[in-house]
Amino acid sequence: MPSLRIENIAKHFGGLKAVDGFSMEVPPGEITGLIGPNGAGKSTVVNMIAGVLSLTSGDIKLGDRSISTDRTEQVARAGIARTFQSIRLLPETTVLDNIVIGFHRHEKAGPLAALLGLPSATRELRELREKAWDLLERFHMQEYAFLAAGNLAYGHQRRVEIMRAMASDPAILMLDEPVAGMNDVESDELAEIFKQLAEQGLGLLLIEHNVGFVTRLCRQIYVLDAGRLLASGPPEQIVNDPRVIEAYIGGASAA
Amino acid sequence: MIHFYYSYQPVIDFFLLSLGFAYSQQIALRAGVFSIGTAGFAALGGYLVAILATRTEVPMWVIIPAGAAIGALGGYVLSIPLARLRGAFVAIATLAFVKVIIALALYFEDLTGGAIGVTNIPRIMDTWSLALMALLVIYVNWSIGRTTLGRIFAALAQDESVAASLGVSIRRYHMIGFMVSGAIGGLFGGLQSLYVYNIEPNAFGFAFVVTILTVVVLGGRTTLLGPIMGAGIMAILPEVARPLADNRTMVNGIIMILVITFLPRGVGDTIVDAVRHRWRQRRGASRPQKQEVADAVASD
Repeated sequence: MPSLRIENIAKHFGGLKAVDGFSMEVPPGEITGLIGPNGAGKSTVVNMIAGVLSLTSGDIKLGDRSISTDRTEQVARAGIARTFQSIRLLPETTVLDNIVIGFHRHEKAGPLAALLGLPSATRELRELREKAWDLLERFHMQEYAFLAAGNLAYGHQRRVEIMRAMASDPAILMLDEPVAGMNDVESDELAEIFKQLAEQGLGLLLIEHNVGFVTRLCRQIYVLDAGRLLASGPPEQIVNDPRVIEAYIGGASAA
Repeated sequence: MIHFYYSYQPVIDFFLLSLGFAYSQQIALRAGVFSIGTAGFAALGGYLVAILATRTEVPMWVIIPAGAAIGALGGYVLSIPLARLRGAFVAIATLAFVKVIIALALYFEDLTGGAIGVTNIPRIMDTWSLALMALLVIYVNWSIGRTTLGRIFAALAQDESVAASLGVSIRRYHMIGFMVSGAIGGLFGGLQSLYVYNIEPNAFGFAFVVTILTVVVLGGRTTLLGPIMGAGIMAILPEVARPLADNRTMVNGIIMILVITFLPRGVGDTIVDAVRHRWRQRRGASRPQKQEVADAVASD
């Protein structure tokens, strides 16, 4: 599995430097954390990696390949999946079919086969639905398979989004605040799943507000503040770093 | 039965023709493209078929597919400049496309007959051949519903940035949507030419656009049943409302307002949703051993 390397990237909106000279690495088989106070530029970083925002300067590499100028769908096809900060499912589509779309990267039947209703195309949908059922079982969500995704409870919608991202069998999975609005039991369950994914060799990038959740899971944490790298290192070092404490609590040392 | 057929044959034929146009319109909406270019595609196919049928000896089994092909080509060409447009802007641009096609039909008088149009087209289509073609189009739409292409179209229609984040090329699938819409529109434009004896530019004007949109809005924008219900209502309504004479258009309008207000998803989609809901409640959510037939019929 390749690692994701972010090299000195910057994003300027006019005079505003949302991200300015930030570097980090997301290695395979680990959960890497990206934290920072509101407005630090975390989501900008994610959107730059995902190809939603263009880079002002710097480079992003997956393995040896630069993906910094790729469009969103090319980044996804290269093997980087994501979830969104505000959940984005297909609200009218069933949970099962929401996950099926996640497999798109691996589809083989072309559109002509689909239009003609050839067996290769119909068989593919059946097979992908089978795979989607496997994921549903893994997440204990079978009973919701045929509900419209928009009708699910918040925590369940989060899970569907994560299942959909996993369906693409990515090398790197970016999780933008995956446990926001969840209770401890729910977030512990997800933490367990994230650990399993990392053990399978996936590189996870966890973008979080919840410092406790990040420090429990991550081997390496990057702290972003005002678009710049404030600190990086293992969790125990980060939580004791006076600069990080100051950024979060705000000038505590001066008091 | 035979008596019924003869007295209502024009209604049935009208129903079959508008069914084809409605699928052309619906497939664009299903793919998340707010195109109203069906009238333009129909004009392209209609004129090509009419000209070939009146001026050349090309056999019919070549002429009819040629109508579909020029419609698909029109869809392909149209999708290129429109790739960056969304929503209402696509509607405006495709309406402009329709107007351009009509203007071209008026301008190239030698070829198209100008305002008079093409006359004396041989009438080779009857109810049965129209029904066969409608079945073909229904089959294609059904196929989309039981393959991943249908899921991709649904994703594009509901949230295209999600689709892109999963590796779906928006440009490519919008183009496919335009081409399928164009092919169906061109095919039925051509069939219409081979049914009505003569065509003229204004037959593909704003009234055509509105009628086809109405069929899809009344019937439903996502299910196979939608256009069937919509085209059925639009074909039967004038017959039912015949005693009202001059008030007919007003009654049409009132019924439309009522349907859109109380069944915003359209008659067909509402029925399919209800049936599907009931069926799932009875069955519960267990892993199917075989993919259900009902899912394919109620394709989305």
